[in-house]
Amino acid sequence: MKAAPSRSDVKVDLAPAPKPATAMIEVDHVSQVFQTSTRKDHLALSDVSLTIDDGAFVSILGPSGCGKSTLLYIVGGFVRPSQGSARMKGRAITGPGPDRGPVFQEFALFPWKSVLGNVMYGPRQQGVKYAEAEAQSRALIEMVGLKGFENFYPKELSGGMKQRVALARTLAYHPEVLLMDEPFGALDAHTRTRLQNDLLNIWERDRKTVLFVTHSVEEAVFLSDKVAMMTRSPGRIRQVVDIDLPRPRRRTELLLDPRYQKYVVDIERMFDDSGENEIEP
Amino acid sequence: MISGHAFLARLAPVLACLGLLAVWQAAALALNNDSFPTALEAIRAIPSILGDKDALINILASLRRMVVGFGIAVTVSIPLGLSMGRSRAVASFFNPLLMVIYPVPKAALMPIIMLWLGVGDLSKTLVIFLGVSLPVIYHSFEGAKAVEEKMLWSSAAMGLSAAQRLVRIVLPAALPEILTGCRTGLVLALITMITSEMIARQSGAGNILFNALDMGEYDIVYAMVIIVGAMGIGLDALFESVRARLVRWSEPQFDIPLSFS
Repeated sequence: MKAAPSRSDVKVDLAPAPKPATAMIEVDHVSQVFQTSTRKDHLALSDVSLTIDDGAFVSILGPSGCGKSTLLYIVGGFVRPSQGSARMKGRAITGPGPDRGPVFQEFALFPWKSVLGNVMYGPRQQGVKYAEAEAQSRALIEMVGLKGFENFYPKELSGGMKQRVALARTLAYHPEVLLMDEPFGALDAHTRTRLQNDLLNIWERDRKTVLFVTHSVEEAVFLSDKVAMMTRSPGRIRQVVDIDLPRPRRRTELLLDPRYQKYVVDIERMFDDSGENEIEP
Repeated sequence: MISGHAFLARLAPVLACLGLLAVWQAAALALNNDSFPTALEAIRAIPSILGDKDALINILASLRRMVVGFGIAVTVSIPLGLSMGRSRAVASFFNPLLMVIYPVPKAALMPIIMLWLGVGDLSKTLVIFLGVSLPVIYHSFEGAKAVEEKMLWSSAAMGLSAAQRLVRIVLPAALPEILTGCRTGLVLALITMITSEMIARQSGAGNILFNALDMGEYDIVYAMVIIVGAMGIGLDALFESVRARLVRWSEPQFDIPLSFS
């Protein structure tokens, strides 16, 4: 007979049962106009609406230049939408905040800080005591598989390792929503696969809400609960596909699963039909 | 253990110096001109200058002005350059101003400054300040402009305000570039220090040099050139060792040493 389960155990036990869906992020009729270098207006996003439920892993999938990153920047509060609004838990997003943690394709680590220094930066900024921040950060560094690299500088790490640090750095200040902007886009195929697996393992522990931008159909289907397909010029959400695959997901099992294969093929076909064929298989 | 190659690389600067002195010695002997003393004569005059209390006070006064001018310039220029690099409004306000000052040799302003502020420390320090400011502003500006947007966004998400981002993200991120500007500024400080003393003769290393020139003491003139040059090399080496320590995180693994450090 097991002792009384801790809070996190309860969470894991309940995870397969559908939670009552409450909206974490709402994007409401957002349009975004950019001025190009030739001073012409370019409509990057046109009337985009999207709801992301609490605890959901939602991918935005689309060809390059469809405005999918812009949508993530708007949710992050880094970019102000030209029209419409984004809300988090019903409150208008007016700027960046520690409740939404970004992970960028470019890693964006602080090069003058060690791995430990980078991961500790957020908690220290939030006023966590040094010893406590250090202990938490060391645990996170171990969780992302970088034990032993605490005192390395970013320039001494490979791309995959840098992205692991970036993920740990963001998780360290406990954002309610993870905003991942093509986080594995700059990595080689092997590293990318490993990071996808590790991300899923980490995510399945506490099921944070994730908004994940990618141009890879396989990546989107493998990771997500929902895939929002975007079309280009102007960026619109064409369709939101529910990915009804069991969790925890194992990559090797999933690749053989006909349901997974069907999702990938169906989504690819939909892009083909719309002429948006610059999507990765 | 030091390998043969590494030992040679260490020795190279010394060999270069010795080579230069040898060429000088040979040329002076060949020309046999009163106004061109040999290297040995010039080196022999050095102890007499450094042993003289007045000369030493003069040289230290020069150094003091240089350090003060450099220090104030760096303190003012780095925040200004960084703000210009991050704010279009600040940049467009100060840019025209700096464009006008940039091509003017700062020593050429010396007579005007002397007219207003006299020939004392204030004028000379001001000229040094002006000489140092521009490269430091320029490099701080470029460094701040080049800071990755996503790095600033990441820190904004952690809750850093705009002012905190300037001090805690932009400053360290731009530090390698800023220090490159400071290194240029240090050499310019030495140059403007000597020229200011050449124009406003009253005290300083430049004063000793030009007085000796007037008196026809050419060995002293050349000895002063060596002393001022050695000061430059020493200060640069000192600065470089501090710089290397501060930005070790940004240095490539293999670096060709550009100084005598």
